[in-house]
Amino acid sequence: MKPSIPRAATLAAPKQQRNWDWRAAANFVCGGAGGGLLLGAAFAGLETPAARIAVLLGLALIATGLTCVWFEIGRPWRAMNVYRHFATSWMTREAVVALVVFAMGGLALLTGAKAFVVLAGICGLAFLYSQARILAANKGIPAWRHPASVPLMVGTGLAEGAGFLACVAAGFGAAGSSWIALVLMVLIGLRAWFWKSYLARLDDDGAPDAALKVLHGMSSRLLLLGHVAPAIAAALALSGAPGPGVWLLAAGILAVGGGWFMKYTLVRRAAFTQGLSIKHLPTRGRGVSGPQVKPGWKSIQGAKAG
Amino acid sequence: MEAAQPKSVKHVPSYCYNCVSGPDLMTVKVVDGVATEIEPNFAAADVHPAKGKVCVKAYGLVQKTYNPNRVSTPMKRTNPKKGRNEDPGFVPISWDEALDIVADKLKAVRAKGLVDEAGLPRVAVSLGHGGTPSNYMGTFPAFLAAWGDVDFSFGSGQGVKCVHSEHLYGEFWHRGFTVAADTPNCRYNIAVGANVDVTGGPCAVIRHADARVRGYKRVQVEPHLTATGACSAEWVPIRPKTDPAFLFALIHVLVRENGLAKLDIPFLRDRTASPYLIAPDGLYLRDPQSGKPLIWDENTATAVPHDTTGAKPAVAGSFRVASAVVVDADKERREYSDVEGKTAYEMLSQHIEKYSPEWAETICDVKAATIRRIANEYLEAASIGETIVIDGKTLPLRPVAVTLGKSVNNGWGAYECCWARTVLAALVGALENPGGLLGTTVRLNKSRDNRHLSVAPGEDGFMVQYFNPTSKEEWQVAPSTRNLHQSLVPIVGHNGAWSQALGPTQLAWMFQGERPDDWNMPMPTLPEVWLVYRSNPSISFWDTRHLAEIAARFPFMACFAYTVDETNYMADVLLPEATDLESTQMIRMGGTKYMEQFWDHKGVVLRTKAVEPQGEARDFTWITTELARRTGLLEPYVKAINKGISGVSPLKGEGYDLRLDPATPPAPEQIWDAVCRAATITLSEGREEHDLAWFKEHGFYTVPMSRLEWYLTPTMEQHGLRYELPYQERLLRAGRELGRRLHEQKTNWWDEQLSEYTALPEWHDVPGRWIRNLEKAGGKAEDFPFWLLTTKSMQYHAGGNAAIEVMHEVAQNMRGHAGVIMNAKTAAGLGIAEGDRIEVRSHIGATYGKAALVQGVRPDTLVIIGQFDHWATPFAKTMEAPSLNSIAPMSLDLTDATGSGSDIVRVAVRRMEGRVAA
Amino acid sequence: MTRYVMTIDLRRCVGCQTCTAACKGANATPPGIQWRRVLDIESGEFPDVRRTFLPVACMHCGNPPCEQVCPTRATTKRADGLVAIDYDLCIGCANCVMACPYDARSIVHEPHYAYSDSPMASEAKRFDPDRVGVSMKCSFCKDRIELAERTGKTPGVDPEVTPACVNSCISGAMGFGDIEDAASSVRRLLAETQHFRMHEELGTEPSVYYVWDKS
Repeated sequence: MKPSIPRAATLAAPKQQRNWDWRAAANFVCGGAGGGLLLGAAFAGLETPAARIAVLLGLALIATGLTCVWFEIGRPWRAMNVYRHFATSWMTREAVVALVVFAMGGLALLTGAKAFVVLAGICGLAFLYSQARILAANKGIPAWRHPASVPLMVGTGLAEGAGFLACVAAGFGAAGSSWIALVLMVLIGLRAWFWKSYLARLDDDGAPDAALKVLHGMSSRLLLLGHVAPAIAAALALSGAPGPGVWLLAAGILAVGGGWFMKYTLVRRAAFTQGLSIKHLPTRGRGVSGPQVKPGWKSIQGAKAG
Repeated sequence: MEAAQPKSVKHVPSYCYNCVSGPDLMTVKVVDGVATEIEPNFAAADVHPAKGKVCVKAYGLVQKTYNPNRVSTPMKRTNPKKGRNEDPGFVPISWDEALDIVADKLKAVRAKGLVDEAGLPRVAVSLGHGGTPSNYMGTFPAFLAAWGDVDFSFGSGQGVKCVHSEHLYGEFWHRGFTVAADTPNCRYNIAVGANVDVTGGPCAVIRHADARVRGYKRVQVEPHLTATGACSAEWVPIRPKTDPAFLFALIHVLVRENGLAKLDIPFLRDRTASPYLIAPDGLYLRDPQSGKPLIWDENTATAVPHDTTGAKPAVAGSFRVASAVVVDADKERREYSDVEGKTAYEMLSQHIEKYSPEWAETICDVKAATIRRIANEYLEAASIGETIVIDGKTLPLRPVAVTLGKSVNNGWGAYECCWARTVLAALVGALENPGGLLGTTVRLNKSRDNRHLSVAPGEDGFMVQYFNPTSKEEWQVAPSTRNLHQSLVPIVGHNGAWSQALGPTQLAWMFQGERPDDWNMPMPTLPEVWLVYRSNPSISFWDTRHLAEIAARFPFMACFAYTVDETNYMADVLLPEATDLESTQMIRMGGTKYMEQFWDHKGVVLRTKAVEPQGEARDFTWITTELARRTGLLEPYVKAINKGISGVSPLKGEGYDLRLDPATPPAPEQIWDAVCRAATITLSEGREEHDLAWFKEHGFYTVPMSRLEWYLTPTMEQHGLRYELPYQERLLRAGRELGRRLHEQKTNWWDEQLSEYTALPEWHDVPGRWIRNLEKAGGKAEDFPFWLLTTKSMQYHAGGNAAIEVMHEVAQNMRGHAGVIMNAKTAAGLGIAEGDRIEVRSHIGATYGKAALVQGVRPDTLVIIGQFDHWATPFAKTMEAPSLNSIAPMSLDLTDATGSGSDIVRVAVRRMEGRVAA
Repeated sequence: MTRYVMTIDLRRCVGCQTCTAACKGANATPPGIQWRRVLDIESGEFPDVRRTFLPVACMHCGNPPCEQVCPTRATTKRADGLVAIDYDLCIGCANCVMACPYDARSIVHEPHYAYSDSPMASEAKRFDPDRVGVSMKCSFCKDRIELAERTGKTPGVDPEVTPACVNSCISGAMGFGDIEDAASSVRRLLAETQHFRMHEELGTEPSVYYVWDKS
């Protein structure tokens, strides 16, 4: 075995998490959008084929995400143990909700009954919320554990759901598209606000420098491509510009793409651990103690990267 | 944690002595015959200062045992060509064949004579790290004793990697082959490069940790912030190799600014040569009748011999002496009348006047105020007048010590440093007194297990010394070893292997290549047989690529081999010996030993075979016995064992006779059983006798020892002796005589070294020697703007741990391992970022590694931890780690009078654009 | 009530990694996996530089975030203060790894060995297939604590029921014991020193106390 590279200088500092790779990220990326889409489908008042497609797509997104996770976990054949801790584990709750989602969604697809579509939609929201809380429960990742991550994750799931809905609607001749475009615009605006608020509060409350760098680094691209561009496209779809279906489709794709870009970044690239710190440097013999050192965190006066 | 339920679990007591700071005690957990864990031996918690614990290195011993890269059978070379680029073509052979090959070579040597036409031994032996191999090579010392003349010249780093000048001068001044603070009582420790929390072993680590919690102050004076510096109260980043100036300034503050009245006058007066009167020519004024050095008796206001009863010697001052003689080199005697004699202290005081803190600041890059404050803190902490009662005896308590580290106490400048710190101790009475500066072992004098027994009256009221003679009649014109130790270094003496091994070992290597133009000694030959154990000079010395080429020229080389390595790559035969956990041996422990191994107990400890040897590896004692038998040396070999050589006690003594039959090859267990019994009988003074089986279960045996054994001063007092300080008249004379002998032979290449023989050391531009050396080699000083230093790593240091995966893994948690440590700001200026691959180039070559950027190093200094750059050792060769050894020159210019050198070289550094083959 | 805690005296620690290596030996962790280690943290700028050695491992939190998020109840908070993992229940989802603010947990998906693709005798002897693909961390040497329950010995006093790292520590930096026991050495040390717990502001209530000065 070849010796590993030197690493002492970075050991104490926050490190990018490596345990949840693209497969786990796919669960948040797809599953959240699927939950949002199911909720959207429940209240969009689409015609039957479009509604069925929307529900099917929502379920497929959630299933894709969960399948990816299944391939990631260390002991996939024990996956059923995931149901053992409903009392406090949002992962257990997500898994429980997923069962109900598939049950309601399946019934909705089989029967076409509106009630099941609505129930599937409510479960989709619950699924989305569970995912947001899974991230937020992780105290080891400051960018996740911040309370402002919950509305952000829910908000983007809803916006992505609306985005998918817009695509479906565009595919079916843009029936009822004005309403969808309007909702999409509102949700994009809401997501932009949640994002801004999240980032501002994270700045205020502190996070690893590396995480903030990643998040700030993506912020203008997210604003432009994930918020401004889909909002303009949706506005054009609303404004009676030629080819409203194309604008709606573009708005939907951009809204989903922006959300996925943000979530993937949050789950992977910005996911730096807390790192380790010393509240008081020790006295050594007749020496003096020293102030707190928190490598990789700028917010601490006098602290330097470790 | 085992997957399957074990059938048997044993905890086998043993020891670790992989570095000089041992031995420490441990147990080996053996599950179903497989060693799985190393654990402390808590049964020893009450007797071992480190409470039965071992350091991180020992935790690599399980992997060391089962390392698949081990040489598992005897091997012989099939490629007659030797060299780094020649595959040795080792093929497995039987033990019979391997031993016969070696024995036949040895027998051929015996037939020709042990010494060759140049007067040099035909057999050379190289043993690694500080004598520690003897704790693993069973009865091999008995074989060497039976053999006769052996050359230990070809060092693997002694002189350059050890604290060489401290060994020689420390033992000369206060029987301190290794010198330590009396940490359990110390309150103020100025550690000049002494990296004791890394190299001092568990005994030092726990004692210094206790001292920190107790509230002692350690000031670390060193160009880079080591772990020891990190754990100190203060770090003083001194410019490399300017330590003598710093220490001289401390003396200045004590002597010139505080003055004699604040120093320990009784100690200076009675236990040092401070009152001895010095003639204007620099020699002792002596009594014309007795030849004894004179002192000024304040009671009678006359000069009287130093040992005059009832005299009250003046410590300071200058006095008119009516009649006296001096004795110069070659016993040349001159007479004086009405001559002014200054006391040695007075000479010191005048000498040190020019070395003020302000002067030192310009040299050391340490503020004068800092130097002055440290000196005054030291003096205050010395608490002159305070006493302590130890085992019913009242002794002075002087809880201050200046300790020195490698590269401070070896090479040029080391004499000055060793002298200054010993004088600093003497000035406050801290030399060999509780709390102060202690020697902990002797190697150039006997008895090696009790340094007090080496104290006997010698010349001029001092301890007896055994210098190599420099008189016209006795000086060794034709060297008896390839490092010329008896010819060139009087102070190293001629006490067997230790004196040899502490000679100028780099000369043995250097003179196999080029010799000085005016060389007129017999041409050095290569040894016909070279035996190597736990030693890898092709990695651990300097200019290692060149050294490996020299090693390739040796006609026959047999190595006791763990894995293939850079030295045994040139071997003709590899002999796989059973390693630490696989073989049996008894050694002494406790008493006072290297570093901070001074105990309240003394005794013996057994390393027993915890698991069966891997492959065909054999117990070293078995191998040795077989070699003795096959070379026809069985009888003298067994007799040497009977005498106690390589055991811990003679096998025959008062009331017991456990001697082995010299006609029969003894089995290893038979030998160690006798040693166990003899050791316990001796230690218990006949009250107890324990056999090998008892030791296999209990591991060790100790008896209490008085803490008074730690301190030499009471013994000196008992003998009425003085420490040979501060004035070095004997060294001055020895240097003069040596110079005469060399010049009589028209040998001038050692002249620079002769300049070190001064009575009171002067500052000379020590760092400048390295700059002049590179300029002499054709380099430009400005092309090599940085100092490169090296420092030790607890994880790797000694024990062949570069091949051990787990040591590599855990070492990486510490900054700078396997890289080049450099100042972050300096690096930024050179466009170097953390982890960048960089080239470090001296005037003789380059080494490559990853940049490890820190704030804790001087901007003008780079540091490489350890000594790696392996190219043959499995696992280690994949580390791609740099090494100072590859680019540090071996040079006569950089060799001091004791024959030692320092790990320092001027270098340039640059970022590599791509990967580079070194 | 019993609550086992560890004390780490930062004044003593020299960063030697003896505890790191002892832990690797005692728990047979694969190469690259360290249930505990000593960090080497530098602060300040030349020449005013500090270097501090900080041993870190599972903090056995009183309010463990890993336990809350674990969907399988493989991770449990025991009555004696230990946070334990049942390898037979864990699915290796890594949620606990994310929840831990102390970088204490790891998952190894494939067996690997020190020198090659196959184990040495010492590795083969101790290879535990149950630990592949599941979350692992410092257990406070749980087996030893359980031995204490069976034998009546005292963790932190009797070596055979004391965590391997504490036993191995050559600077005397580490202590272990029941903080609820007024006579325990950890309780005494904490009473006479100033100390902190890492990331206390996260509400985790760690059971590892770092001593940094006398009271």
